[in-house]
Amino acid sequence: MDISFALTGKGYVIVAADTTAARSIVKMKTDEDKIKVLSPHLLMAFSGEPGDTLQFAEYVERNIRLYQIRNTYALRPPSAASWIRRSLADSLRSRRPYAVNLLIGGYDTSTSTPHLYWVDYLGTLSPVPFGAHGYGSYFGLSLLDRYHDPEATLEEGLDTLRRCIDEVSKRLVVSPGKYKVKIVDKDGVREIEL
Amino acid sequence: MSIMEYNGGSVIAMVGKDCVAIASDLRLGNQALGIASDFEKIFPMTDRVYLGLPGLATDVTTLREQFRYRLNMYTIKEEREIEPETFAHLVSSTLYERRFGPYFIEPVMAGLQRLPNGGYKPFIAATDLIGCINFAKDFVVAGTASSKLFGVAEGLWEPDLEPEDLFETIAQTLLNAVDRDAYSGWGAVVHVITKDKAIKRVLKGRMD
Amino acid sequence: MSRSYDRALTVFSPDGHLFQVEYALEAVKKGTCAVGVRGQDVVVLGVEKKSVLQLQDPRTVRKVVMLDDHICLAFAGLNADGRVLIDKARIECQSHRLTVEDPVTVEYITRHIAGIQQRYTQSGGVRPFGISTLIVGFDPHDTRPRLYQTEPGGIYSAWKANAIGRSSKTVREFLEKNHKDDMTRDETIKLTIKSLLEVVQTGAKNIEINVMESYGKITALDLPQIEAIVAEIEREKEAEAERKRSRLAATAAGQAAMSQAAPGSGGPSGQQ
Repeated sequence: MDISFALTGKGYVIVAADTTAARSIVKMKTDEDKIKVLSPHLLMAFSGEPGDTLQFAEYVERNIRLYQIRNTYALRPPSAASWIRRSLADSLRSRRPYAVNLLIGGYDTSTSTPHLYWVDYLGTLSPVPFGAHGYGSYFGLSLLDRYHDPEATLEEGLDTLRRCIDEVSKRLVVSPGKYKVKIVDKDGVREIEL
Repeated sequence: MSIMEYNGGSVIAMVGKDCVAIASDLRLGNQALGIASDFEKIFPMTDRVYLGLPGLATDVTTLREQFRYRLNMYTIKEEREIEPETFAHLVSSTLYERRFGPYFIEPVMAGLQRLPNGGYKPFIAATDLIGCINFAKDFVVAGTASSKLFGVAEGLWEPDLEPEDLFETIAQTLLNAVDRDAYSGWGAVVHVITKDKAIKRVLKGRMD
Repeated sequence: MSRSYDRALTVFSPDGHLFQVEYALEAVKKGTCAVGVRGQDVVVLGVEKKSVLQLQDPRTVRKVVMLDDHICLAFAGLNADGRVLIDKARIECQSHRLTVEDPVTVEYITRHIAGIQQRYTQSGGVRPFGISTLIVGFDPHDTRPRLYQTEPGGIYSAWKANAIGRSSKTVREFLEKNHKDDMTRDETIKLTIKSLLEVVQTGAKNIEINVMESYGKITALDLPQIEAIVAEIEREKEAEAERKRSRLAATAAGQAAMSQAAPGSGGPSGQQ
């Protein structure tokens, strides 16, 4: 089961996801990237049914890009999240729905605000200050309730993220070893080593 | 596990004297796990028609968008705002379109109906998930705490409450009912609609 | 039965012409001129811009558009048809990336666009697209610039340099005379502007130039840059004309001198 966390801070969003690709009880790969860069200021962590996840993420990626080419400007985070949610909601009532959970983090360059959305495979969307999917949510959310600060600096935000990841490593039986961490802020998207 | 209880949430509407009130909790959950405590389920359709959508959260958003679209089309074509009773039938037919694959929502509506003499008549209604309308004269409830809401409302509600008293009645009914429901709560929001204005108040509640 | 009458279909004339397609080509000829020129490792698109009305926003009138990171398209003909075709092409670009994880090649997207244009000459209830296109770009993992053209009938072909639209024949002939292989960036831009000036009387302010230098590197020249090049071309023309004049004067003087040297020799000027 994939684990992903995301949290907002002062002018940034941190998105983290584990890098394990597993089949049943076997680890097939430990450097899988489960965070897509959708546009210069938009990130999406995806988890769920293997196959569906990447397929859906790439479908979204191409459509967001198409929008940008058609209209010169990229969709802003709220609009992008709304479109993605609708895609999942429509898919839910189709013959073969996508089973994909998402955390969409973005930075709105026109209002200079960070945005984070929690989206599940049903198409439930909620703007959140922090969010998590997978087994990590049972450990991480309570820590985030206690330590999250929307005005925190990037270093403080990363410390909070470390707490979550450490807790998962400590308590979860099948905890993943490595995480990929990406940040989006006014300068765009970048990946960092935790 | 019932799909109607997957995300949790409850809505109640009450009639007062020349006013109506509609209120909901603010919880969004994933079964027992809480996700957000600011998930509103009541949306203004016009200045004096409000719609509450308790049920599956994905359908809350989808239906809200659907009704916004249908209402905009109605307003443009008819060149007037919709009346609450007409809106209730719009809600009903929208849900019945999906008779054999329904949206998992039990809408609650509250509004003021304009009368031929220029006055306004309080209006509330609720439907089931396939659009069967229940016009009520006192109060309507829906959501995971509906059984508790019935009980408290039955005890607290009385006819011809003034706006402030109606607010107190609906707020107490909701807050006390959702405290007995694990899937509802985490704060509440109340809208009181009178002919001159609509007041929105966000209430704090137990966070457990 | 009446339904069989209201289907417009492009059909052959007895002598083998498709009139609808030929009419579409007429529509193309009415469109503003577009030029594409390939250099050593650069490809340039130049278009004649219609002067916008005083109160119109010039940014909303576009003849050169991006199809993907590495491909640009210019068209001549009916703007409305162009919009639709461009949208189809853009969708195909993203769809191709989605299905095979690779960007399209310039030839592929040209073939796709030409394919759409062909389809609209052979199905019922539709009319052909009234546009020709010039498609430029670079293939992925390749440094050679590409230039293709498509026509309403669905023909497509590769070029070193070509023009479409109003007076395209004049421009093409000019290009045929002046195009060299292995031109540098500046030479290519200059040739493009020069060829456009053959048909654009109003000069720099009605010319738009887009330069693609490598995969994904596209720059549009701004007005002062174009004006500078136009001025340079004017200067060269002026110098050329001056040389011509002095040469002419020299010849005339030589002739005059010759006729004076032999008076009464019975030259035509001597008769009176």
